[in-house]
Amino acid sequence: MDRDRSVERFLPLRPVEFDVLLSLAAGERHGYGIILDSEARGATAVPDVGTLYRALRRMQDQGLIGASARRDVPESADERRHYYQITPLGLEVARAEARRLAALMRAAAASGLIEAVAT
Amino acid sequence: MRLLLRLYPADFRDEMGEAFLETYRDRSRAAVRDGGVAALAGVWLLSLADSTRNGLGERMRPAVGWRRSGNWGRDTERAVRRLVRAPLFTLSMIATLTVGLGAFAMVATVVQKVLLAPLPYERPDDLYLVWRDYGKVFDLKHGSLAGTDVVALGAAGGVIEGAAGVDRARATLTAAGSGSDDTAPEQVSVLITSPNLFHLLGVRPALGRTFAAGEAGPGRPALVVLGHELWQRRFGGRRDVVGADVVLDGTPYQVIGVLGPDFRLEGELASDAYVTHLVNLAETNPGAGSYSVMIRARAGTPPALVASAVGAVGKMVDERDFQGKGISLYPVGIKADLLDAVRAPLLVLGAAGVLLVLVLGVNMATLLLVRAAQRERELAISRALGANRLALVRATLLEAVLLGTAGGALGALAAVWGTRALVALAPLDLPRRETIAVDWRLAAVVVGVGALLGALAGTLPAVWSTRAGLATLLRNAAVRGGGGGYGPLRRAMVVAQVALSLVLLSAGGLVVRSFEHLLRIDPGFSPAGVLTFGVPVPGARYPTDTQVVAVHERLHRALAAIPGITAVGASGALPLSGDPAQSTVHFPGAPGNSGDTERDRPLVDYVQTRAGYFEALGIRVLAGRAFEPTPSRGVREAVIDRTLAQRFFPTGSAVGATLEFFDDTLRVVGVVEHARLHDVHQDGRPQLYVRDEDYTENALSFALRSDRSPTGLVPEVRAAIARVDPQLAVSQVRSMDEIVSAAVQQPRLSAVLLSGFSLGALLLAAMGLYGVIAGSVSRRRHEIAVRLALGADHRRVLRLILGEGARLVGLGLLIGAPGIYLASRLVGGVLVGVSPFDPLTLGAVAVGLALVAAVACYLPARRVAGIEPAQSLLEN
Repeated sequence: MDRDRSVERFLPLRPVEFDVLLSLAAGERHGYGIILDSEARGATAVPDVGTLYRALRRMQDQGLIGASARRDVPESADERRHYYQITPLGLEVARAEARRLAALMRAAAASGLIEAVAT
Repeated sequence: MRLLLRLYPADFRDEMGEAFLETYRDRSRAAVRDGGVAALAGVWLLSLADSTRNGLGERMRPAVGWRRSGNWGRDTERAVRRLVRAPLFTLSMIATLTVGLGAFAMVATVVQKVLLAPLPYERPDDLYLVWRDYGKVFDLKHGSLAGTDVVALGAAGGVIEGAAGVDRARATLTAAGSGSDDTAPEQVSVLITSPNLFHLLGVRPALGRTFAAGEAGPGRPALVVLGHELWQRRFGGRRDVVGADVVLDGTPYQVIGVLGPDFRLEGELASDAYVTHLVNLAETNPGAGSYSVMIRARAGTPPALVASAVGAVGKMVDERDFQGKGISLYPVGIKADLLDAVRAPLLVLGAAGVLLVLVLGVNMATLLLVRAAQRERELAISRALGANRLALVRATLLEAVLLGTAGGALGALAAVWGTRALVALAPLDLPRRETIAVDWRLAAVVVGVGALLGALAGTLPAVWSTRAGLATLLRNAAVRGGGGGYGPLRRAMVVAQVALSLVLLSAGGLVVRSFEHLLRIDPGFSPAGVLTFGVPVPGARYPTDTQVVAVHERLHRALAAIPGITAVGASGALPLSGDPAQSTVHFPGAPGNSGDTERDRPLVDYVQTRAGYFEALGIRVLAGRAFEPTPSRGVREAVIDRTLAQRFFPTGSAVGATLEFFDDTLRVVGVVEHARLHDVHQDGRPQLYVRDEDYTENALSFALRSDRSPTGLVPEVRAAIARVDPQLAVSQVRSMDEIVSAAVQQPRLSAVLLSGFSLGALLLAAMGLYGVIAGSVSRRRHEIAVRLALGADHRRVLRLILGEGARLVGLGLLIGAPGIYLASRLVGGVLVGVSPFDPLTLGAVAVGLALVAAVACYLPARRVAGIEPAQSLLEN
């Protein structure tokens, strides 16, 4: 898909999309791995399988993530897990979204809604 | 688990299914490990809800995503690239669309500007023209009104806001007043009108003012309002013309105003200048109708109410002036009155234009299907590489829309020039002719129609070509060597094209036959070698009848002296140009009299002529003689036409009979052939010819027969007239051939356009048929090669292919046959001398279509029958 479009076009990301990008920014993961990672991070809305795969497919179409060639062999049987990795565009987009959220936080702090957050 | 996955669409399952299932398994295992069966049940329930929602969402994605996803710029660029890579397909498609949509644009322009656009007056829907129906008195349903009717309508009140009576005249404009150097005499058309005409129309002048109430009638100052065109042409658009004097027929008129460029009265009322009545309308003869009357109804009055108000005035006038003979008045909406004559042919053209666009659409769909079939393998590979179906549909559709838009834009451009040519070709009396031009809104509509056509024609191929599953598609592509699949659809398209073309061709064929008939009609005179022109004699310069007759005599002699002239005819109205007057005649004691007073006094067209008229126009004298140069003393002579002679003297000779005409008794000296005076395709009334010397006319038209070219005579004619009196204007110089040709101009235009459309449709049908047969043949190359290799002879193969084409054409003809009925009904109203179900025309059309189709099938068939089996098999 197209990678030459401006990053802003993707913003704001849906929570599940940002979640996926956060997980994959740390390294390649398979589907269940992303769910586990979200849970571990204490994400507000941990995606269920259907929601996750719809988001994965969409993000793949948009070029934010890609399928990884890596396959691990789990202990049971001969299953091969599908891994996903973040693309450079995905990384850019995740950064831009983070900056956007940070700016929002600063604005929220400035209006006294929350205490100031260090960025 | 797999059941849950079924909730998602197939392409999602193809792409994500495996990973989805493995994650689901992971999740379930973790649940069992951490919380046992209860936790597993919880995961299942959650997943069911989640997958139902997302599965449905994913299925809806094409509809939503169409708007949200995708890159139109990139997609368009790719579509253009694909089109450029197939130049033959693209160019032929765009050329076809340009011609087809251009033709449609031209017809749409004419229909819009002439039939649909509002007239340039205030509240045009409340304006009506009023006519007199003479009922049983005599056969005249569309009669003019007398001044007394105008006064009665104007005084009626109620829903009638006002009435204006107008009378047409021609006048010689000799001097353009102070400061003008252009003093050559010129004939102009003048409308003699009630002062309230412009107020009634809601039209303001561009300069000066229009007439005020009370500025009409005997003894009033002579005032004139100039039309924009005359002001530009004759006065160079000078603003100081207001207040100056111009001379019309020897009388000075003061210019009080100039009208704007947009104002024009149409049809018979079109004029160069406007003056007011110099008579008292209330004192005119109620029996003599000479005014066209326009009324304005109160805003939004229903037509039925206007009709009853006018009817009431008519009844009053009938009682008062005609002792209740049943002469009535009726209104016709001004637009309807203007457009009635052209509505039928224009609607036929409009319908043909729409039909042509339909054929174009079906043709486009057929060719797109053929192209899609050729691209089947490419599409299959695209899908295998992960392109989703939506993207493919969009890409194919985009191509079609681009083609349609390009065709529409080029078509609109072509129509700009085409419409100019069309207007030049259009009859001069076509209402609102000057307004016919493609404007940006029409051009936009045509581009829109093109895009829509592309979208509609492209949808089927786009959806169809991406319909089959990947495996099927690949299998088909492999087995059939490309070009397989959806044959039934393509064949249906060809059948539709043949059917639609049959309808269009039938309509076109009938109109062409009708026109051909019109050209073969004997008008009763022979136009070749005749030059005509008018020479009005201004009343101010020649006030008495004796003077008028004398100047006519001198003109006649001067013209006859021009070398090469074989006959000089002069008359109040020449055939097919200018209406002859009407009156009743009576043959006392004639054998054809029935005893019914009204029937025995029929209304006839009477024409004032001088000796030489019948010779000059080539009207055959059937009995007796024509008028002689020297009138017989003491006897007024008449010549009647064959119709009148047969009616009153069915067995014997009319020559020598006497007839009553106005207050005179005339003697019939000859019977001539009936000539078509008003219309080439209608007989018109019986005719009576009287001597001009007896009933003097101030504006005679001359007809010169010579063995020289008519147009070559013009300078000598002008010189001869100037020698008689340099102040006389020469008007409307035309050859009789031109007049006849102008009279058949409208049917000619219809015939040219309709036959053009029909041929276009025929060509499109042939192209579609060729495309489909060629596609089917190339698909079956392998099969045919095998047949040939196994010993089938070439002729059988040829028959096989031709048979397929013949079936399609036959089916198309069968399905199109009921459409012929519709076409015949549609064009029936404009046909002359041809039955709407003329078997010869319709048969010829069907045979012609079948022949063209046969050629379209034969070309690809011959190619395939000639293949070398061995080589073809090797290729495969």
